[in-house]
Amino acid sequence: MVRHNLGTVVSFEVTRTLKKKQFWLTTLLVPVAIGIVIALIVISNTTTGSRVDSQADATFAFTYSDASGLVDPAVATSFGGTRVTDDQQAIADVKAGRSAAHFAYPADPATQTTRAYGKDLDISGNGRYASVATAVLVTSAKAAIDNPTLTSLANGAFSVDAVTYKDGQATGGFLGAVAPLLFLLIFYVVIVMLGNQMLTSTLEEKENRVTEMILTTLNPTTLITGKIISLFIIGIVQMTVFVLPVLVGYLFFRSALSLPDIDFSQLVINPGQMIVGALLLIGGFTLFLGTLVAAGAIMPTAKEAGQVFGVMMTLIFVPLYAASLVVSDPHSFLVGLFTYFPYSAPVTALLRNGLGSLGPLEATIVIAELFIFGGIVLRIAVRLFRYGSVEYTKRIALRAVFARPAAERAPVR
Amino acid sequence: MTAAPLVHIGHFRMDFGGTTVVRDLSFDIFRGETFGFLGSNGSGKTTTIRALLGIYQPTGGVLHIDGRPFSPEHGATLGYLPEERGLYKKEPVIDVMTYFGRLKGLSKAKALAWSLDYLERVDLGGRGRLRLDKLSSGEQQKVQLGVTIMNDPELLILDEPTKGFDPVNRKLLMGIIEDQKLAGATVLMVTHQMEEVERLCDRVVLLKDGEAEAYGTVEAVQDQYGGRVIRLTCSGEISALPHYQVSRKDAEHVELAVTDQVDDATILRELMAAGVVVSSFYAARVSLDDIFVRVYGAENVGV
Repeated sequence: MVRHNLGTVVSFEVTRTLKKKQFWLTTLLVPVAIGIVIALIVISNTTTGSRVDSQADATFAFTYSDASGLVDPAVATSFGGTRVTDDQQAIADVKAGRSAAHFAYPADPATQTTRAYGKDLDISGNGRYASVATAVLVTSAKAAIDNPTLTSLANGAFSVDAVTYKDGQATGGFLGAVAPLLFLLIFYVVIVMLGNQMLTSTLEEKENRVTEMILTTLNPTTLITGKIISLFIIGIVQMTVFVLPVLVGYLFFRSALSLPDIDFSQLVINPGQMIVGALLLIGGFTLFLGTLVAAGAIMPTAKEAGQVFGVMMTLIFVPLYAASLVVSDPHSFLVGLFTYFPYSAPVTALLRNGLGSLGPLEATIVIAELFIFGGIVLRIAVRLFRYGSVEYTKRIALRAVFARPAAERAPVR
Repeated sequence: MTAAPLVHIGHFRMDFGGTTVVRDLSFDIFRGETFGFLGSNGSGKTTTIRALLGIYQPTGGVLHIDGRPFSPEHGATLGYLPEERGLYKKEPVIDVMTYFGRLKGLSKAKALAWSLDYLERVDLGGRGRLRLDKLSSGEQQKVQLGVTIMNDPELLILDEPTKGFDPVNRKLLMGIIEDQKLAGATVLMVTHQMEEVERLCDRVVLLKDGEAEAYGTVEAVQDQYGGRVIRLTCSGEISALPHYQVSRKDAEHVELAVTDQVDDATILRELMAAGVVVSSFYAARVSLDDIFVRVYGAENVGV
């Protein structure tokens, strides 16, 4: 009966959420916004790229002076340049409209600024002066090197593959952190997007006076477990919807979006880190959602329960303020405090696990702590739901619940 | 009534902090009977039902359904209409009914078919796709009653079932309850509508000061509290006689409370001998309404 009812609860909760227009409006808002941003970036990058190219390729008559001697006259001529020696006269010609532009290359262009003077062509058109001045100097420099390999190296077109070792084993570096840090991302998305839903989900039974009907057909533990599982499923649906436009953007518009070409075969999957990440995620999820259920059982309305949700959100974002410390000094006192305090532990431990600074002993302690606290909080939540949710209009006092035996907790009816 | 009771409450006690709400309550409900659980507001009726259904843990005593304390497994054979009513208001009627049907052990198809039939029966056919909060309060009550009885419960617990119903819907609801009774359900009913108790209930318990003030068949309780009354339509002055006293009187109608075991014919003869012209004479038991007022005091009149 219990197993059958768990499936029924999950099915009801998931179906009714997925049937709601409001759910899809809220959920689709994120990918639509991402899609719009991607489209704007693609259009903007395409326009900017073509404009820069056309400006760099633009030929117009200009004068130039070269104190450095680095400008190749042939290159300058091919761009439409004529060398002069009197900068003041050349600038006066530009001012008078007799010349389109004048570039003054200094003695050391690497440390001194090259000056470009030109006839105003509006903000978008004026960019061509700097573009052509730069193109003349870069092309001249490449011609002076006269070696394709050296030219590539000078452009920084080469790669360095760093291999690091820990306990004699090669570590993954940045690519090794990507996979385990996904658990942190999932934790944030699920709690931020669904935490409030969990809070109001149990409040719904109370506000709608459904509790007594439910409690005579269903064990409260089954109901709450069913709601948590449902939220997890809904969270996966939401994340899939969110990820979809990012995936499309990466696969089809990578160059337009200037996204790096990640070689996924280089991703390092450390089974140990992944298991620890998954356990931290489940433990943290249980603790946070159990706490939200308990809050829902105590508070008479969603408005009052919302205050608790605010506190919970603060607790999961606080460790991020110490993120730089987690990276630079993961064994400091503050990071240790955040690692072991139950409500900041999931974020801190997941971050440290991703960065490879969470040792096996620490991971074991934090996982055990999260599961033990999560279990205790869930039991308390079930108890509060059982007793608190028939207190339809009143806020149940925690002291009243825990200070007296169970038999004395009920109100006079 | 010698078989094992379906509901057994033995020496039930319930304390809330320093306050004792139910001191020592015992009664049994047998299979197939309709049982009235009566008492003034705040006397502990809802608390007793919640303790019976495991929502509250009793301070003392035994509360059993079918020989054991309540567990969610009882839900498959139980129908409970609580005093505090409500369902998932933002969901379609048919979805909510099907959900509860499945929780009570019905298949999805059976729960759906039953719900559609029931909605037709209570004049809500074609409204199953509406959200519950789009229905009137009375219509929502009908849906709630449907959810309560959809598993053909062996035990039906109704806490003030007619609360919030207009007379037409009340009649409809009482008809449904009578159908359940005829189908063999055991009914435990909390109500302040004494005429419903007299019409439907086989036995009652009156809860006062945390204990059973009276317990037994309706007739036995009526006999315990004043026995018979005689209702007359008459003219002429009625003087007090040793066998009765005037309990109610208006222009034409008089109600006499019979104070000893004298038979009706003797009273009629005495009235006629005293010069009273009697045009109608009707002997009955004292109403539960009167007993309720007598037991709980005038402050509870009209509850």
